[in-house]
Amino acid sequence: MNCEVSLILEHKYEQLQQMSDDPLNQVSQVFEKSLQYVKRFSRYKNPDAVRQVREILSRYQLAEFELCVLGNLCPETVEEAIAMVPSIKNRGRALDDEAIEKMLNDLSLIKRFE
Amino acid sequence: MFLKVQLPWNVIISAENLDAKGLMLQRSIIIRLLDDFACKKATKDLGYFLAVTTLESIGEGKVRQHSGDVLFPVVFSGITFKLFRGEILDGVVHKVLKHGVFLRCGPVENVYLSNLKMAEYKYVPGENPVFLNEKLSKIGKDVTVRVMVIGTKWLEVERDFQALVSVEGDFLGPIS
Repeated sequence: MNCEVSLILEHKYEQLQQMSDDPLNQVSQVFEKSLQYVKRFSRYKNPDAVRQVREILSRYQLAEFELCVLGNLCPETVEEAIAMVPSIKNRGRALDDEAIEKMLNDLSLIKRFE
Repeated sequence: MFLKVQLPWNVIISAENLDAKGLMLQRSIIIRLLDDFACKKATKDLGYFLAVTTLESIGEGKVRQHSGDVLFPVVFSGITFKLFRGEILDGVVHKVLKHGVFLRCGPVENVYLSNLKMAEYKYVPGENPVFLNEKLSKIGKDVTVRVMVIGTKWLEVERDFQALVSVEGDFLGPIS
């Protein structure tokens, strides 16, 4: 998820800062653009919050990519979640609308208390 | 989307860098790995290489016959970025043209949203051109847009990806 990658890349960047005065010169364009992107698009900044998000999403038997898209886009309604990740309604899984709604509510609680 | 990958790699250390002390050797392997990694930029299967997270194992070194270098097979974990068809993600507009806009998604600069894939939006020329729809929603420079990837292409020569995206779908389009 973007928020997890953000923590990793920021940590790497700090390591580079400790080793030289001009860290931006040392990193590749790919790294710099990715760091900018994840910092801008991470909904959760606090490492504990990030861990909780992963924990909550892991309870719902989601495929890894479904977990990531939900964690990155943070849909607010059940309808939005199904539009973002249509596969969560497939194959007779135990994911009915109520379960999805509970999941989204838990996620928004974390955001509020971050 | 960001991926966590585990990869085997061959790190080549030239004879000058080899030291009798074991610790220095591991450090040179790590440094060499990070350099190779940064140079590689991207591959077709894994996407853009971003960072090495852990070094899982270092195998036994083999001396190469003619150059005197030693080759170490290593296994490491790292993070890469790749765009997938059908994926929905956010991008930032960095160029507006008459027939569409270019977005930046992570390290990928060439993400193209054609005017055919945003039918409700009309081009508005000017010093700061934008695409505008009836509800006055704007797609212009530095605007964040939620898009769906409809196709990707790997360019071998430039070692870069290109992607085609669309905003035709529920909950897609500019995000405030």
